[in-house]
Amino acid sequence: MLKAKHVDRLMTGLMIGSAMIMAGILIFLLGIILLRGASHISLSFLTSNSSSFQAGGGIKNQLWNSFYLLVLTMVFTVPIGLLGGIYFAEYAKDNKWTSFLRSCVELLASLPSIIVGMFGMLLFVNVFGWGFSILSGALTLTIFNMPVMIQVSEAALRAIPNHQRHGSAALGATRWQTVKTVLLPAAFPALLTGMILSAGRVFGESAALIFTAGLTTPNLHFRQWHLFAMDSPFNPMRTAETLSVHIWAVNTVGIIPDAAQVAAGASAVLVLVILLFNLSARIIGRMIERGIKGN
Amino acid sequence: MLTLEKPKASVTPIKKINPVFQVKDLNIYYGDTLAVKDVSVQFPERAITALIGPSGCGKSTFLRTFNRMNDLIPEARATGEVIYQEWNILDPRLDVVALRKEIGMLFQKPNPFPKSIYENVVHGLKCAGVKKKAVLDEAVEISLKQADLWDETRDRLTKSALSLSGGQQQRLCLARALALKPKVLLLDEPTSALDPISTAKIEELLLELMKEMTIIIVTHNMQQAARIADYTAFFFQGRLEEYGATAALFEAPKVERTKQYLSGQFG
Repeated sequence: MLKAKHVDRLMTGLMIGSAMIMAGILIFLLGIILLRGASHISLSFLTSNSSSFQAGGGIKNQLWNSFYLLVLTMVFTVPIGLLGGIYFAEYAKDNKWTSFLRSCVELLASLPSIIVGMFGMLLFVNVFGWGFSILSGALTLTIFNMPVMIQVSEAALRAIPNHQRHGSAALGATRWQTVKTVLLPAAFPALLTGMILSAGRVFGESAALIFTAGLTTPNLHFRQWHLFAMDSPFNPMRTAETLSVHIWAVNTVGIIPDAAQVAAGASAVLVLVILLFNLSARIIGRMIERGIKGN
Repeated sequence: MLTLEKPKASVTPIKKINPVFQVKDLNIYYGDTLAVKDVSVQFPERAITALIGPSGCGKSTFLRTFNRMNDLIPEARATGEVIYQEWNILDPRLDVVALRKEIGMLFQKPNPFPKSIYENVVHGLKCAGVKKKAVLDEAVEISLKQADLWDETRDRLTKSALSLSGGQQQRLCLARALALKPKVLLLDEPTSALDPISTAKIEELLLELMKEMTIIIVTHNMQQAARIADYTAFFFQGRLEEYGATAALFEAPKVERTKQYLSGQFG
Protein backbone atom coordinates (compact mmCIF):
# COMPACT_ATOMS: atom_id res chain seq x y z
CA MET A 1 0.00 0.00 0.00
CA LEU A 2 1.17 3.47 -0.80
CA LYS A 3 1.87 5.79 2.03
CA ALA A 4 0.11 9.18 2.10
CA LYS A 5 3.45 10.86 1.65
CA HIS A 6 4.12 8.91 -1.54
CA VAL A 7 0.65 9.64 -2.88
CA ASP A 8 1.26 13.28 -2.21
CA ARG A 9 4.51 13.18 -4.12
CA LEU A 10 2.91 11.28 -6.98
CA MET A 11 0.03 13.75 -7.31
CA THR A 12 2.40 16.71 -7.17
CA GLY A 13 4.40 15.10 -9.96
CA LEU A 14 1.28 14.54 -12.08
CA MET A 15 0.18 18.11 -11.63
CA ILE A 16 3.56 19.51 -12.55
CA GLY A 17 3.55 17.15 -15.51
CA SER A 18 0.18 18.43 -16.74
CA ALA A 19 1.31 22.03 -16.48
CA MET A 20 4.52 21.17 -18.34
CA ILE A 21 2.61 19.44 -21.15
CA MET A 22 0.48 22.53 -21.61
CA ALA A 23 3.43 24.89 -21.60
CA GLY A 24 5.31 22.52 -23.92
CA ILE A 25 2.51 22.41 -26.48
CA LEU A 26 2.22 26.20 -26.44
CA ILE A 27 5.94 26.76 -26.90
CA PHE A 28 6.11 24.12 -29.65
CA LEU A 29 3.11 25.63 -31.45
CA LEU A 30 4.33 29.19 -31.22
CA GLY A 31 7.82 28.09 -32.22
CA ILE A 32 6.64 26.32 -35.37
CA ILE A 33 4.29 29.11 -36.44
CA LEU A 34 6.81 31.86 -35.84
CA LEU A 35 9.74 29.94 -37.34
CA ARG A 36 7.81 29.10 -40.50
CA GLY A 37 6.23 32.52 -40.83
CA ALA A 38 8.93 34.89 -39.65
CA SER A 39 10.99 34.59 -42.81
CA HIS A 40 8.00 35.75 -44.80
CA ILE A 41 7.20 38.78 -42.67
CA SER A 42 8.62 41.93 -44.15
CA LEU A 43 7.61 45.54 -44.42
CA SER A 44 6.31 44.99 -47.94
CA PHE A 45 4.34 41.93 -46.81
CA LEU A 46 2.60 44.07 -44.19
CA THR A 47 2.05 47.09 -46.41
CA SER A 48 1.08 45.73 -49.81
CA ASN A 49 -2.21 44.50 -51.19
CA SER A 50 -2.90 40.81 -51.44
CA SER A 51 -2.76 39.31 -54.87
CA SER A 52 -5.30 37.02 -56.44
CA PHE A 53 -3.21 35.08 -58.94
CA GLN A 54 0.45 35.98 -58.71
CA ALA A 55 2.97 35.38 -55.99
CA GLY A 56 4.23 38.14 -53.70
CA GLY A 57 0.93 39.47 -52.33
CA GLY A 58 0.76 41.15 -48.93
CA ILE A 59 -1.78 41.41 -46.11
CA LYS A 60 -2.20 45.15 -45.65
CA ASN A 61 -5.98 45.28 -46.12
CA GLN A 62 -6.59 42.08 -44.20
CA LEU A 63 -4.65 43.43 -41.23
CA TRP A 64 -6.57 46.69 -41.38
CA ASN A 65 -9.88 44.85 -41.67
CA SER A 66 -9.12 42.73 -38.64
CA PHE A 67 -8.42 45.78 -36.47
CA TYR A 68 -11.35 47.76 -37.80
CA LEU A 69 -13.76 44.87 -37.22
CA LEU A 70 -12.31 44.38 -33.76
CA VAL A 71 -12.84 48.02 -32.83
CA LEU A 72 -16.42 48.04 -34.10
CA THR A 73 -17.16 44.77 -32.32
CA MET A 74 -15.77 46.08 -29.05
CA VAL A 75 -17.79 49.29 -29.43
CA PHE A 76 -20.93 47.14 -29.52
CA THR A 77 -19.79 44.49 -27.05
CA VAL A 78 -18.32 46.46 -24.18
CA PRO A 79 -21.38 48.52 -23.18
CA ILE A 80 -23.80 45.59 -23.49
CA GLY A 81 -21.43 43.18 -21.78
CA LEU A 82 -20.69 45.60 -18.98
CA LEU A 83 -24.35 46.43 -18.32
CA GLY A 84 -25.29 42.76 -18.43
CA GLY A 85 -22.48 41.88 -16.04
CA ILE A 86 -23.48 44.67 -13.64
CA TYR A 87 -27.05 43.41 -13.72
CA PHE A 88 -26.06 39.84 -12.88
CA ALA A 89 -23.54 40.81 -10.21
CA GLU A 90 -25.33 43.66 -8.46
CA TYR A 91 -29.02 43.81 -9.29
CA ALA A 92 -30.34 40.36 -10.19
CA LYS A 93 -32.13 38.59 -7.38
CA ASP A 94 -31.36 34.95 -6.82
CA ASN A 95 -34.44 33.42 -8.44
CA LYS A 96 -35.59 31.27 -11.35
CA TRP A 97 -35.76 34.17 -13.76
CA THR A 98 -32.14 35.07 -13.06
CA SER A 99 -30.96 31.50 -13.40
CA PHE A 100 -32.86 31.25 -16.69
CA LEU A 101 -31.15 34.40 -17.97
CA ARG A 102 -27.81 33.11 -16.76
CA SER A 103 -28.33 29.80 -18.60
CA CYS A 104 -29.09 31.79 -21.75
CA VAL A 105 -25.81 33.65 -21.47
CA GLU A 106 -23.89 30.43 -20.81
CA LEU A 107 -25.54 28.70 -23.75
CA LEU A 108 -24.80 31.63 -26.03
CA ALA A 109 -21.19 31.60 -24.87
CA SER A 110 -20.85 27.95 -25.74
CA LEU A 111 -22.39 28.12 -29.23
CA PRO A 112 -19.92 27.10 -31.96
CA SER A 113 -18.81 30.17 -33.88
CA ILE A 114 -19.83 28.65 -37.21
CA ILE A 115 -23.44 28.49 -35.93
CA VAL A 116 -23.27 32.11 -34.82
CA GLY A 117 -21.90 32.88 -38.30
CA MET A 118 -24.83 31.12 -40.00
CA PHE A 119 -27.25 33.05 -37.80
CA GLY A 120 -25.50 36.31 -38.65
CA MET A 121 -25.76 35.51 -42.32
CA LEU A 122 -29.49 34.82 -42.05
CA LEU A 123 -30.26 37.90 -40.01
CA PHE A 124 -27.82 40.65 -40.95
CA VAL A 125 -26.76 39.61 -44.45
CA ASN A 126 -30.12 38.38 -45.76
CA VAL A 127 -33.07 39.64 -43.67
CA PHE A 128 -31.60 43.09 -43.03
CA GLY A 129 -30.08 43.08 -46.48
CA TRP A 130 -26.70 44.42 -45.42
CA GLY A 131 -24.89 41.84 -47.53
CA PHE A 132 -21.41 40.64 -46.72
CA SER A 133 -20.20 43.67 -44.80
CA ILE A 134 -18.13 44.87 -41.91
CA LEU A 135 -21.33 45.78 -40.05
CA SER A 136 -22.77 42.28 -40.47
CA GLY A 137 -19.46 40.82 -39.35
CA ALA A 138 -19.09 43.11 -36.36
CA LEU A 139 -22.64 42.41 -35.13
CA THR A 140 -22.11 38.68 -35.58
CA LEU A 141 -18.89 38.87 -33.59
CA THR A 142 -20.79 40.89 -30.99
CA ILE A 143 -23.19 37.98 -30.52
CA PHE A 144 -20.19 35.70 -30.29
CA ASN A 145 -18.30 37.87 -27.81
CA MET A 146 -21.02 39.52 -25.71
CA PRO A 147 -21.76 36.55 -23.43
CA VAL A 148 -18.06 36.25 -22.63
CA MET A 149 -17.94 39.95 -21.84
CA ILE A 150 -20.98 39.60 -19.55
CA GLN A 151 -19.33 36.72 -17.71
CA VAL A 152 -16.02 38.56 -17.40
CA SER A 153 -17.75 41.69 -16.03
CA GLU A 154 -19.84 39.71 -13.58
CA ALA A 155 -16.81 37.83 -12.29
CA ALA A 156 -14.79 41.04 -11.96
CA LEU A 157 -17.53 42.70 -9.90
CA ARG A 158 -18.18 39.65 -7.76
CA ALA A 159 -14.52 39.51 -6.84
CA ILE A 160 -14.89 42.80 -4.95
CA PRO A 161 -15.57 42.07 -1.28
CA ASN A 162 -18.96 43.00 0.16
CA HIS A 163 -17.53 45.37 2.75
CA GLN A 164 -16.93 47.82 -0.10
CA ARG A 165 -20.62 47.79 -1.01
CA HIS A 166 -21.64 48.13 2.63
CA GLY A 167 -19.17 50.95 3.24
CA SER A 168 -20.54 52.91 0.33
CA ALA A 169 -24.20 52.23 1.17
CA ALA A 170 -23.61 53.33 4.76
CA LEU A 171 -22.49 56.71 3.40
CA GLY A 172 -25.83 57.19 1.71
CA ALA A 173 -24.82 56.11 -1.78
CA THR A 174 -27.48 54.59 -4.01
CA ARG A 175 -26.77 51.26 -5.64
CA TRP A 176 -25.90 52.87 -8.96
CA GLN A 177 -23.63 55.43 -7.26
CA THR A 178 -21.82 52.55 -5.56
CA VAL A 179 -21.46 50.70 -8.84
CA LYS A 180 -20.24 53.77 -10.68
CA THR A 181 -17.88 55.28 -8.14
CA VAL A 182 -16.63 52.31 -6.10
CA LEU A 183 -17.17 48.97 -7.79
CA LEU A 184 -16.36 49.77 -11.43
CA PRO A 185 -13.10 51.60 -10.59
CA ALA A 186 -12.11 48.76 -8.26
CA ALA A 187 -12.95 46.17 -10.90
CA PHE A 188 -11.27 48.12 -13.69
CA PRO A 189 -8.02 46.12 -13.87
CA ALA A 190 -9.93 42.84 -14.10
CA LEU A 191 -12.41 44.33 -16.58
CA LEU A 192 -9.65 45.62 -18.81
CA THR A 193 -7.78 42.33 -18.71
CA GLY A 194 -10.97 40.47 -19.61
CA MET A 195 -11.68 42.91 -22.42
CA ILE A 196 -8.26 42.59 -23.97
CA LEU A 197 -8.29 38.81 -23.72
CA SER A 198 -11.68 38.63 -25.40
CA ALA A 199 -10.37 41.04 -28.03
CA GLY A 200 -7.78 38.40 -28.85
CA ARG A 201 -10.54 35.85 -29.38
CA VAL A 202 -12.39 38.24 -31.69
CA PHE A 203 -9.25 39.13 -33.60
CA GLY A 204 -8.55 35.50 -34.39
CA GLU A 205 -12.10 34.47 -35.25
CA SER A 206 -12.71 33.22 -38.78
CA ALA A 207 -15.68 30.85 -38.99
CA ALA A 208 -18.24 33.45 -37.94
CA LEU A 209 -16.91 35.91 -40.53
CA ILE A 210 -16.74 33.77 -43.64
CA PHE A 211 -20.51 34.10 -44.20
CA THR A 212 -20.93 37.61 -42.81
CA ALA A 213 -17.98 39.81 -43.74
CA GLY A 214 -17.02 37.89 -46.85
CA LEU A 215 -13.86 36.59 -48.50
CA THR A 216 -12.95 39.65 -50.49
CA THR A 217 -11.89 43.21 -49.90
CA PRO A 218 -12.39 46.03 -52.36
CA ASN A 219 -9.27 47.83 -53.46
CA LEU A 220 -8.95 50.23 -50.51
CA HIS A 221 -7.61 53.74 -50.83
CA PHE A 222 -6.45 55.02 -47.48
CA ARG A 223 -6.83 58.61 -48.66
CA GLN A 224 -10.50 58.08 -49.48
CA TRP A 225 -12.27 60.07 -46.78
CA HIS A 226 -15.76 59.63 -48.12
CA LEU A 227 -17.18 57.19 -45.56
CA PHE A 228 -19.53 55.29 -47.85
CA ALA A 229 -17.31 55.13 -50.89
CA MET A 230 -16.70 51.53 -51.85
CA ASP A 231 -12.93 51.96 -51.59
CA SER A 232 -13.06 53.70 -48.20
CA PRO A 233 -11.32 51.67 -45.50
CA PHE A 234 -13.90 52.92 -42.98
CA ASN A 235 -16.99 52.04 -45.00
CA PRO A 236 -18.93 49.66 -42.71
CA MET A 237 -21.05 48.38 -45.59
CA ARG A 238 -18.20 46.98 -47.71
CA THR A 239 -16.96 43.42 -47.67
CA ALA A 240 -13.91 42.74 -45.57
CA GLU A 241 -11.68 39.72 -45.48
CA THR A 242 -9.84 39.59 -42.16
CA LEU A 243 -6.43 38.14 -41.47
CA SER A 244 -7.66 34.82 -40.13
CA VAL A 245 -10.23 34.46 -42.90
CA HIS A 246 -7.43 35.17 -45.34
CA ILE A 247 -5.37 32.33 -43.89
CA TRP A 248 -8.31 30.00 -44.34
CA ALA A 249 -9.04 31.32 -47.82
CA VAL A 250 -5.56 31.08 -49.34
CA ASN A 251 -5.28 27.55 -48.01
CA THR A 252 -8.60 26.33 -49.32
CA VAL A 253 -9.88 28.39 -52.23
CA GLY A 254 -6.78 30.40 -53.08
CA ILE A 255 -4.94 29.88 -56.36
CA ILE A 256 -1.82 31.96 -55.67
CA PRO A 257 1.38 29.97 -56.14
CA ASP A 258 2.89 31.11 -52.80
CA ALA A 259 -0.22 30.27 -50.75
CA ALA A 260 1.77 28.29 -48.19
CA GLN A 261 4.19 31.13 -47.52
CA VAL A 262 1.46 33.75 -47.37
CA ALA A 263 -0.52 31.60 -44.95
CA ALA A 264 2.55 31.02 -42.80
CA GLY A 265 3.41 34.72 -42.74
CA ALA A 266 -0.16 35.75 -41.98
CA SER A 267 -0.41 33.13 -39.22
CA ALA A 268 2.75 34.44 -37.62
CA VAL A 269 1.40 38.00 -37.70
CA LEU A 270 -1.92 36.86 -36.26
CA VAL A 271 -0.25 34.97 -33.43
CA LEU A 272 2.08 37.87 -32.68
CA VAL A 273 -0.82 40.32 -32.42
CA ILE A 274 -2.75 38.02 -30.09
CA LEU A 275 0.38 37.45 -28.03
CA LEU A 276 0.73 41.21 -27.79
CA PHE A 277 -2.90 41.51 -26.59
CA ASN A 278 -2.31 38.94 -23.88
CA LEU A 279 0.95 40.44 -22.67
CA SER A 280 -0.45 43.97 -22.63
CA ALA A 281 -3.52 42.75 -20.71
CA ARG A 282 -1.25 41.42 -17.99
CA ILE A 283 1.07 44.41 -17.92
CA ILE A 284 -1.63 47.10 -18.02
CA GLY A 285 -3.75 45.27 -15.44
CA ARG A 286 -0.82 45.02 -13.07
CA MET A 287 0.15 48.65 -13.61
CA ILE A 288 -3.33 49.91 -12.73
CA GLU A 289 -3.51 47.60 -9.74
CA ARG A 290 -0.26 49.06 -8.45
CA GLY A 291 -1.58 52.58 -9.07
CA ILE A 292 -4.67 51.84 -6.97
CA LYS A 293 -2.72 50.32 -4.11
CA GLY A 294 -0.44 53.33 -4.17
CA ASN A 295 2.86 51.58 -3.61
CA MET B 1 -37.48 25.41 21.37
CA LEU B 2 -40.61 26.30 23.31
CA THR B 3 -40.54 28.14 26.58
CA LEU B 4 -43.57 28.86 28.68
CA GLU B 5 -42.15 31.76 30.48
CA LYS B 6 -40.44 34.73 28.93
CA PRO B 7 -37.16 35.29 30.79
CA LYS B 8 -37.25 38.54 32.62
CA ALA B 9 -35.23 41.38 31.18
CA SER B 10 -34.03 44.15 33.39
CA VAL B 11 -34.26 47.49 31.70
CA THR B 12 -33.48 50.33 34.06
CA PRO B 13 -35.19 53.49 32.84
CA ILE B 14 -32.69 56.23 32.20
CA LYS B 15 -33.78 59.49 33.69
CA LYS B 16 -33.78 62.85 32.03
CA ILE B 17 -32.89 61.70 28.57
CA ASN B 18 -33.86 62.74 25.13
CA PRO B 19 -34.15 59.38 23.46
CA VAL B 20 -32.68 59.39 19.97
CA PHE B 21 -34.05 55.93 19.25
CA GLN B 22 -37.16 54.34 20.71
CA VAL B 23 -37.29 50.66 19.91
CA LYS B 24 -40.61 48.88 20.42
CA ASP B 25 -41.13 45.13 20.14
CA LEU B 26 -38.40 44.69 17.58
CA ASN B 27 -38.02 41.24 16.04
CA ILE B 28 -35.54 40.51 13.28
CA TYR B 29 -35.60 37.33 11.23
CA TYR B 30 -33.08 35.74 8.90
CA GLY B 31 -35.37 33.54 6.87
CA ASP B 32 -37.03 31.45 9.58
CA THR B 33 -34.44 32.14 12.27
CA LEU B 34 -35.28 34.76 14.83
CA ALA B 35 -32.08 36.73 15.42
CA VAL B 36 -33.42 39.55 17.60
CA LYS B 37 -36.38 38.85 19.89
CA ASP B 38 -38.88 41.32 21.32
CA VAL B 39 -36.49 44.14 22.05
CA SER B 40 -37.91 47.34 23.50
CA VAL B 41 -35.47 50.02 24.61
CA GLN B 42 -34.61 53.70 24.35
CA PHE B 43 -31.19 55.09 23.62
CA PRO B 44 -30.17 58.53 24.89
CA GLU B 45 -28.85 61.37 22.81
CA ARG B 46 -25.21 62.53 22.94
CA ALA B 47 -23.96 59.55 24.86
CA ILE B 48 -22.08 56.38 24.15
CA THR B 49 -24.12 53.21 24.42
CA ALA B 50 -22.33 49.88 24.20
CA LEU B 51 -23.97 46.69 23.00
CA ILE B 52 -22.26 43.65 24.48
CA GLY B 53 -22.89 39.92 24.48
CA PRO B 54 -21.46 36.64 23.20
CA SER B 55 -21.00 35.96 19.47
CA GLY B 56 -24.26 35.38 17.66
CA CYS B 57 -26.35 37.13 20.31
CA GLY B 58 -27.86 39.46 17.72
CA LYS B 59 -26.13 42.66 18.78
CA SER B 60 -24.69 43.44 15.33
CA THR B 61 -27.97 42.61 13.64
CA PHE B 62 -29.67 44.92 16.11
CA LEU B 63 -27.16 47.70 15.37
CA ARG B 64 -27.67 47.41 11.63
CA THR B 65 -31.39 48.10 12.07
CA PHE B 66 -30.74 51.75 12.84
CA ASN B 67 -29.42 52.57 9.38
CA ARG B 68 -31.31 49.76 7.64
CA MET B 69 -28.12 47.98 6.59
CA ASN B 70 -30.02 44.72 7.01
CA ASP B 71 -31.75 45.68 3.75
CA LEU B 72 -28.62 44.48 2.00
CA ILE B 73 -29.17 40.97 3.35
CA PRO B 74 -31.90 39.52 1.12
CA GLU B 75 -33.51 37.15 3.64
CA ALA B 76 -33.52 39.59 6.60
CA ARG B 77 -36.81 41.18 7.72
CA ALA B 78 -37.90 43.07 10.80
CA THR B 79 -41.16 43.69 12.69
CA GLY B 80 -41.89 46.25 15.39
CA GLU B 81 -40.98 49.90 15.53
CA VAL B 82 -37.78 51.89 15.69
CA ILE B 83 -38.69 55.53 16.16
CA TYR B 84 -36.09 58.09 15.14
CA GLN B 85 -37.22 61.70 15.31
CA GLU B 86 -40.75 61.47 13.95
CA TRP B 87 -40.15 58.49 11.67
CA ASN B 88 -40.33 54.77 12.00
CA ILE B 89 -37.03 53.58 10.57
CA LEU B 90 -38.57 50.24 9.63
CA ASP B 91 -41.15 51.90 7.38
CA PRO B 92 -40.44 50.55 3.88
CA ARG B 93 -41.34 53.95 2.42
CA LEU B 94 -38.55 55.67 4.36
CA ASP B 95 -35.76 57.16 2.24
CA VAL B 96 -32.86 54.99 3.42
CA VAL B 97 -30.34 57.03 1.45
CA ALA B 98 -31.28 60.12 3.46
CA LEU B 99 -31.36 58.10 6.67
CA ARG B 100 -27.81 56.81 6.15
CA LYS B 101 -26.54 60.34 5.70
CA GLU B 102 -27.72 61.18 9.20
CA ILE B 103 -26.72 57.88 10.73
CA GLY B 104 -23.14 56.99 9.91
CA MET B 105 -21.49 53.62 10.38
CA LEU B 106 -18.05 52.20 11.01
CA PHE B 107 -17.35 48.53 10.37
CA GLN B 108 -15.32 45.80 11.97
CA LYS B 109 -12.66 45.74 9.30
CA PRO B 110 -11.41 49.06 7.92
CA ASN B 111 -12.94 49.26 4.45
CA PRO B 112 -11.53 52.27 2.63
CA PHE B 113 -12.30 52.40 -1.09
CA PRO B 114 -9.37 51.74 -3.41
CA LYS B 115 -9.12 55.43 -4.24
CA SER B 116 -7.27 58.45 -2.94
CA ILE B 117 -7.60 59.59 0.66
CA TYR B 118 -9.38 62.72 -0.55
CA GLU B 119 -11.88 60.76 -2.66
CA ASN B 120 -12.64 58.49 0.28
CA VAL B 121 -13.58 61.40 2.51
CA VAL B 122 -15.77 63.15 -0.07
CA HIS B 123 -17.53 59.98 -1.27
CA GLY B 124 -20.67 60.56 0.79
CA LEU B 125 -20.81 64.24 -0.03
CA LYS B 126 -20.37 63.65 -3.75
CA CYS B 127 -23.12 61.04 -3.68
CA ALA B 128 -25.29 63.65 -1.97
CA GLY B 129 -24.68 65.94 -4.92
CA VAL B 130 -22.10 68.33 -3.45
CA LYS B 131 -19.88 69.48 -6.29
CA LYS B 132 -18.17 72.69 -5.21
CA LYS B 133 -14.49 72.09 -4.71
CA ALA B 134 -14.18 74.64 -1.90
CA VAL B 135 -16.92 72.89 0.08
CA LEU B 136 -15.36 69.49 -0.48
CA ASP B 137 -11.87 70.73 0.41
CA GLU B 138 -13.13 72.22 3.63
CA ALA B 139 -15.05 69.07 4.55
CA VAL B 140 -11.92 66.98 3.96
CA GLU B 141 -9.84 69.13 6.27
CA ILE B 142 -12.46 69.32 9.03
CA SER B 143 -13.31 65.63 9.01
CA LEU B 144 -9.70 64.50 8.86
CA LYS B 145 -8.95 66.78 11.79
CA GLN B 146 -11.91 65.35 13.70
CA ALA B 147 -10.53 61.88 13.08
CA ASP B 148 -7.06 63.06 14.08
CA LEU B 149 -5.66 62.06 10.70
CA TRP B 150 -5.03 65.47 9.16
CA ASP B 151 -1.41 65.84 10.21
CA GLU B 152 -0.53 62.43 8.85
CA THR B 153 -2.29 62.84 5.52
CA ARG B 154 -2.39 66.54 4.61
CA ASP B 155 0.57 66.17 2.25
CA ARG B 156 -0.64 62.97 0.64
CA LEU B 157 -4.36 63.45 0.09
CA THR B 158 -4.06 62.24 -3.49
CA LYS B 159 -2.31 59.02 -2.43
CA SER B 160 -4.22 55.76 -2.32
CA ALA B 161 -6.11 55.12 0.90
CA LEU B 162 -4.79 51.56 0.80
CA SER B 163 -1.29 52.86 1.47
CA LEU B 164 -2.34 53.79 5.02
CA SER B 165 -1.86 51.52 8.04
CA GLY B 166 -4.82 49.61 9.51
CA GLY B 167 -5.37 52.11 12.31
CA GLN B 168 -5.10 55.03 9.90
CA GLN B 169 -7.52 53.32 7.52
CA GLN B 170 -10.09 52.97 10.29
CA ARG B 171 -9.69 56.64 11.20
CA LEU B 172 -10.11 57.48 7.51
CA CYS B 173 -13.37 55.52 7.53
CA LEU B 174 -14.37 57.54 10.57
CA ALA B 175 -13.51 60.80 8.79
CA ARG B 176 -15.48 59.61 5.77
CA ALA B 177 -18.55 59.11 7.97
CA LEU B 178 -18.02 62.41 9.79
CA ALA B 179 -17.86 64.34 6.53
CA LEU B 180 -21.64 63.96 6.28
CA LYS B 181 -22.06 65.54 9.73
CA PRO B 182 -24.09 62.61 11.07
CA LYS B 183 -26.29 62.87 14.15
CA VAL B 184 -25.67 59.27 15.09
CA LEU B 185 -22.63 57.07 14.67
CA LEU B 186 -23.02 53.30 14.67
CA LEU B 187 -19.88 51.26 15.26
CA ASP B 188 -19.69 47.52 14.72
CA GLU B 189 -16.64 46.30 16.68
CA PRO B 190 -14.57 49.09 15.15
CA THR B 191 -11.34 48.21 16.93
CA SER B 192 -11.35 44.42 16.81
CA ALA B 193 -8.90 44.43 13.89
CA LEU B 194 -6.64 47.10 15.39
CA ASP B 195 -3.61 47.12 17.69
CA PRO B 196 -3.93 48.55 21.23
CA ILE B 197 -2.47 51.94 20.33
CA SER B 198 -4.83 52.46 17.40
CA THR B 199 -7.67 51.22 19.60
CA ALA B 200 -6.88 53.78 22.29
CA LYS B 201 -6.83 56.49 19.66
CA ILE B 202 -10.25 55.55 18.33
CA GLU B 203 -11.68 55.42 21.86
CA GLU B 204 -10.26 58.86 22.58
CA LEU B 205 -11.92 60.19 19.43
CA LEU B 206 -15.26 58.66 20.33
CA LEU B 207 -15.19 60.32 23.74
CA GLU B 208 -14.61 63.62 21.96
CA LEU B 209 -17.30 63.02 19.33
CA MET B 210 -20.02 62.06 21.82
CA LYS B 211 -20.26 65.72 22.78
CA GLU B 212 -21.82 66.34 19.39
CA MET B 213 -23.48 63.08 18.45
CA THR B 214 -25.03 59.87 19.66
CA ILE B 215 -22.75 56.87 19.52
CA ILE B 216 -23.82 53.24 19.63
CA ILE B 217 -20.99 50.74 19.65
CA VAL B 218 -21.04 46.98 19.42
CA THR B 219 -18.03 45.56 21.18
CA HIS B 220 -16.63 42.20 22.06
CA ASN B 221 -14.33 43.80 24.51
CA MET B 222 -15.94 44.34 27.89
CA GLN B 223 -13.12 46.57 29.09
CA GLN B 224 -13.81 48.82 26.12
CA ALA B 225 -17.46 49.12 27.10
CA ALA B 226 -16.45 49.86 30.68
CA ARG B 227 -13.93 52.48 29.53
CA ILE B 228 -16.02 54.55 27.17
CA ALA B 229 -19.74 53.74 27.38
CA ASP B 230 -22.22 55.71 29.45
CA TYR B 231 -24.82 53.00 29.02
CA THR B 232 -24.50 49.33 28.27
CA ALA B 233 -26.96 46.82 26.87
CA PHE B 234 -26.31 43.11 27.31
CA PHE B 235 -27.72 40.78 24.65
CA PHE B 236 -28.05 37.04 24.94
CA GLN B 237 -29.54 34.73 22.29
CA GLY B 238 -31.31 37.59 20.57
CA ARG B 239 -32.83 39.05 23.70
CA LEU B 240 -31.94 42.22 25.51
CA GLU B 241 -31.19 40.83 28.96
CA GLU B 242 -30.10 43.92 30.77
CA TYR B 243 -29.68 47.60 30.03
CA GLY B 244 -28.60 50.46 32.22
CA ALA B 245 -25.81 52.83 33.20
CA THR B 246 -22.48 51.14 32.50
CA ALA B 247 -21.06 51.45 36.00
CA ALA B 248 -24.19 50.00 37.61
CA LEU B 249 -24.41 47.16 35.12
CA PHE B 250 -20.78 46.17 35.53
CA GLU B 251 -20.67 46.51 39.31
CA ALA B 252 -24.06 45.14 40.23
CA PRO B 253 -25.71 43.26 37.36
CA LYS B 254 -29.33 42.49 38.15
CA VAL B 255 -29.75 39.53 35.82
CA GLU B 256 -28.00 36.27 36.60
CA ARG B 257 -26.92 35.75 32.99
CA THR B 258 -25.27 39.19 32.85
CA LYS B 259 -23.35 38.32 35.99
CA GLN B 260 -22.18 35.06 34.44
CA TYR B 261 -21.14 36.75 31.20
CA LEU B 262 -19.28 39.57 32.92
CA SER B 263 -17.44 37.11 35.14
CA GLY B 264 -16.36 35.17 32.07
CA GLN B 265 -18.37 32.00 32.67
CA PHE B 266 -19.30 31.92 28.96
CA GLY B 267 -18.68 34.10 26.06
